[in-house]
Amino acid sequence: MNCPIQSRDSERLVAYAAGTLDTETARELEQHLAGCADCRSMAAEQTALWRALDVWEAPPVSPDFDERLYRRIDQGVRLSWRERLARAFDRMPLRQVLPLTASAGLLLVAGLLLQHPGSIATVAPRGEIVRANQVERTLDDLDLLRQFGTADSGESAHPNAK
Amino acid sequence: MEPGVNNDVGAAVAAVAIMDYDAELMLRVKEGDTVSFGLLLVKHRASVIHFVYRLVQEQAVAEELAQEVFLRVYRSRSSYEPTAKFKTWLFRIASHLALNWLRDEKHERGQERLDDGSPGLPLRQVSDRRPTVEQELVYQVKLREIRRAVAALPGKQRAAVLLHKYEEMPYAQIARVLECSESAVKSLLYRAYETLRARLAHMETT
Repeated sequence: MNCPIQSRDSERLVAYAAGTLDTETARELEQHLAGCADCRSMAAEQTALWRALDVWEAPPVSPDFDERLYRRIDQGVRLSWRERLARAFDRMPLRQVLPLTASAGLLLVAGLLLQHPGSIATVAPRGEIVRANQVERTLDDLDLLRQFGTADSGESAHPNAK
Repeated sequence: MEPGVNNDVGAAVAAVAIMDYDAELMLRVKEGDTVSFGLLLVKHRASVIHFVYRLVQEQAVAEELAQEVFLRVYRSRSSYEPTAKFKTWLFRIASHLALNWLRDEKHERGQERLDDGSPGLPLRQVSDRRPTVEQELVYQVKLREIRRAVAALPGKQRAAVLLHKYEEMPYAQIARVLECSESAVKSLLYRAYETLRARLAHMETT
């Protein structure tokens, strides 16, 4: 038999520790272990690990597990799509709910705008007003700067200015 | 689609249905037989909850996730096709939900979580007599060490070990549950057992 460690076949040692090797392979492996300290050590450690993991018993199942499940199944059958949606969001952490809500909101608005193109026109004037105000203010600022510019040129310290 | 694909899938479905009684039960659930769903629940309830419990290490969460597993099984009854063993399919759903929970929980809390000292810890049954206080203490210390060692493994390694050790699944089935190759499972188990041996192999002598 090839050395399981050297041939990178540690599954055989794991299976040996788990007691799942067939009798013939187990006997061959035991013959190998007798002469291979590395494999013997690994097999002993794996067996010890296997026994240690046996200690871990899971707690008993709650007696009302089935009852709760059947209640949820019944509720699921009766729930409307709105309730199912609310439940789905209810179970999600806030950091997942916010982006999803924002995306859903955007999609809803986009859908509404596409369905009622006329409503775009009702939104547009407000944008126009804002833009008109901004243009007006910018023109005032430019006038002011021009006035300053004129004043500056009059008081320039440059020798060629006069 | 290739002409032979439908025939192949059909043959696979038939083969699994013949070999796997659970798949047969699930096909009956698909036809509206709720008694068959009850039989599947009774048969697999404990193993699913125990598997998820050992993965997430919180009893309440484990039961909640297991409820979700069986709910999904029930809700997907109409589209069920027995292309794999029922247990493989069931544990694939369970692993998926539990690993997702672990990932979200890790991000939420940013640290390992163990319900140490929770009332969910089982009392050890030592043959037919009650354990002494000292035996119980030694057991609880060992248990805590085992749980910590398993919890320290990456999620997929943890799932592979639990499926191998407690569900006694062969490598090929673990690969189908975790949706990876058999060689990937070998690698997962090799690394996981190496880590666990280093942390727990001394226990037998203590």
